[in-house]
Amino acid sequence: MDFLLISLLIYLLGTLTIVFPKRIELAAHYLGMLCAVLASGMVAYSSLNYLMNPVDGWLLEASWGSYSLQADAWSAAFLLLTGAAGAMTSIYAIDYGKSYKGNRIRLLSGLWNLFLLSIVAVLLSGDAFTFIVAWELMALVSFLLVNHEAGKKKTVSAAYQYMVMTHIGTAAIMVAFFLIGSSSGSFSFGDMANNELSGFMKNVAFICAFLGFALKSGLMPLHIWLPNAHPAAPSHVSALMSGVMLKVALYGFGRFAFQFIGMDIFWHGLIVMLVGLVSAFLGVLYATMEVDMKRILAYSSVENMGIIFAAFGCGMVMYSMNMTVVCVVAFTAALVHAFSHSLMKGLLFMSAGAVMHSVGSKNIELMGGLIKKMPYTALFTLIGSMALSSLPFTSGLVGEWLTLQSFATLAQQAGTPELRLLVIFAFIMLGLTGATALGCFVRLYGTAFLGRARTNIVDKAHEMPVFMLLGMGLEAVLIVAIGLMPDALVNMVQQVFAGIAAVSIGTPLGLIWGGSGRYALYSPGIIFAVFALIALFVFVAVYRSVSFAGKESTGSLVRRDVTWNCGTIPTSRQQYSATGFSKPLRRAFDGILSPRRSLTYLRKEHAYYGRKLKYELEIPDIFNDRLYKPIQQLMINSSSAFHKIQEGSVRLYIGYTMVAMIVVLIWGVLL
Amino acid sequence: MEYLVVFLVLVVFLQTRITNLQRAVICLASQSFIIAIACFVLGLSSGNGIHALLPGVLTLVVKVLFIPGAIYRLVGKLKNEREILSASNVNYSTTAAALFLVLGYVIVERLLPGSAGRDIIAASILMIMTGLSLMVLRKRAIIQIVGLITLENGIYLLGLLMTEGLPLVVELGVFLDVLIAVVVLVILTSRMRLSFMTTDTSVMKKLKG
Repeated sequence: MDFLLISLLIYLLGTLTIVFPKRIELAAHYLGMLCAVLASGMVAYSSLNYLMNPVDGWLLEASWGSYSLQADAWSAAFLLLTGAAGAMTSIYAIDYGKSYKGNRIRLLSGLWNLFLLSIVAVLLSGDAFTFIVAWELMALVSFLLVNHEAGKKKTVSAAYQYMVMTHIGTAAIMVAFFLIGSSSGSFSFGDMANNELSGFMKNVAFICAFLGFALKSGLMPLHIWLPNAHPAAPSHVSALMSGVMLKVALYGFGRFAFQFIGMDIFWHGLIVMLVGLVSAFLGVLYATMEVDMKRILAYSSVENMGIIFAAFGCGMVMYSMNMTVVCVVAFTAALVHAFSHSLMKGLLFMSAGAVMHSVGSKNIELMGGLIKKMPYTALFTLIGSMALSSLPFTSGLVGEWLTLQSFATLAQQAGTPELRLLVIFAFIMLGLTGATALGCFVRLYGTAFLGRARTNIVDKAHEMPVFMLLGMGLEAVLIVAIGLMPDALVNMVQQVFAGIAAVSIGTPLGLIWGGSGRYALYSPGIIFAVFALIALFVFVAVYRSVSFAGKESTGSLVRRDVTWNCGTIPTSRQQYSATGFSKPLRRAFDGILSPRRSLTYLRKEHAYYGRKLKYELEIPDIFNDRLYKPIQQLMINSSSAFHKIQEGSVRLYIGYTMVAMIVVLIWGVLL
Repeated sequence: MEYLVVFLVLVVFLQTRITNLQRAVICLASQSFIIAIACFVLGLSSGNGIHALLPGVLTLVVKVLFIPGAIYRLVGKLKNEREILSASNVNYSTTAAALFLVLGYVIVERLLPGSAGRDIIAASILMIMTGLSLMVLRKRAIIQIVGLITLENGIYLLGLLMTEGLPLVVELGVFLDVLIAVVVLVILTSRMRLSFMTTDTSVMKKLKG
């Protein structure tokens, strides 16, 4: 399709806003965002068209010299995701970006276009070189975007941490590409699919590929950059990074798993699955502990990428055990959840940006009662929160339900007790994840939007301008639409796997789960009916009791007030704080979280009154303490060992040269 | 040629023992002068016309007159500057030079057995290594420059013998290279004298962050 190439050109045009003169910087911003919306819309349209009308052949095939573009159904699915999320986030950014006026706004909108361009280029690339170039461009541009508010010291350190981590990932991916490419005809994807890699080197290639893509998607031991980079970046950038860039890593991993490495080896899938499960649980656990809105969302991204990779790993395990038909359930689950996560996390990052824009803080402990000041934002955030806690009628449930279905399928089809035990473990992890996620988003939404204002920063809160609301609203509508009509998305996603060579499925639409004759999908209709019934009961009960109480109180001296406040007037300090809300969880998982608490008495005249104290709570990231700090220490130690021979004296270095020369000469003489 | 090599070895050994800066420069000039004569001898025996004479003339102008002249003028400005070091350091340099001479002959015997310019190759290896060791062991900037030029002379001599006349452009390039390097070094040394009141390079350690 020419549409894709044209959209690349439009992105490039949008990138040119960097060089616009400063006095029309706002016009440059509008133009840049317009280009981004237009091009993303075109990307989404052409890929949707391709997915809806399956045709033989490529979505796009082109090549210039040693660079080539090639897109199949797997690319098209992610192009659709990128286009949709990119368009809606760009609409949001039209108004949100204006707050960066005078603060390198041209750079922001230009790089925004370049970022989208690089993501699309990664998805379109048809050989290893193009992929690496586009991937590296994506990493660098996202680094610059994270580093946009470079005046803050924290931002700079977060950005550099991201840069270092992502380059480690790129290095691993390059090793994987090299191993596979060197054992096949050329570095184009088509030739690499027929590689002759086997045995040990194949395992090495798999490990490298998984390492690289897991790092980019923030799976658990390698997630360390994610909770720092997201709060540092501008909100729409966070939305795009979390919503789309993390999914691009899934795309790359899928490309490796389906095409290059294959899924024949059992433990490959097992590793992916276990890492995914652990990330899912630990991610949401840490999310529940944070009070910074964007850090909560960042850790929640870790959780959701964990779920996605767990489903993907489940599919790989099933494929390696010759369940080639039912494994599609798991892959569908991964892709559907990737779709819905890109929508809901994009939405929530946008609303976090709106809240930040409005109250000027990210700390939810300082908020409260925002629903009265910004009702629309509150509604959209509610929808996003519901989706992230995978409640019914939202897209979040569709993916998670399919994930559970795929694990159930694995248990049912596998037949060995070990695998069943594994599935039980998976169910426990997923159950814990789901429950904790619900608590996490109740906490987030309840603390920020409900109750009373905790500090006076809420007073100046206001509703957002129209484009920001439009961007959020479109995502919210899509989330609800997918939640109500999941069939369309799921059917489309299953078509994707029909086109992938490694997965052989007979009739994807006729896929029937577990022989029970029921399609592996939840039906919103039934849930809706049950909910309506429950609501009816509750309503009747409440109405009766209210009317009963009303009859009692007429004409008497009974005053009607808030329940259980014992006659006092409740203040905002009596509300549950966000830290307090997560206390039970902190107690329960004390061993994992190992919180550092410190209590300092600022004034203590009497044991019970007149005292002032300061309570500090810090939840250190377990991997930071146990994995990264030792590595850092090791590197510092080894550098100081090297420092002994690198003294900074030029004469010493000339001496080294001389000694090396003498050694070489003597060696030459002796041999 | 054999006499030239003997003189050259003698001058290089002398170089390692001299601590007075003025004498070191004179020694350098005579060393370059021997190289220049070697150029004439080799050039006249192998080539003809201007190409045969040019390397010798250039060596004479640049390495015998201009560079030592510039350094000599600089040394004249330095008062009470002497390579202050114990006799042991000088002895180390001389011993090292002796070892390098042996090494040079061993290398020629083993790697290029029966080659014509056996002595010249050994002498040039001696010069290269001695130049390096002067740069490494001595602290005064002037002596280090002298070491650099000794090294350069050794490489040049080796090149001259091995190739029997480099292309003209390459030779001009080499001379320009040395010239620029020495000019920069002389300027830097004189700046250093102004800033630190000494040309002892070990004071430069202070500049390290």
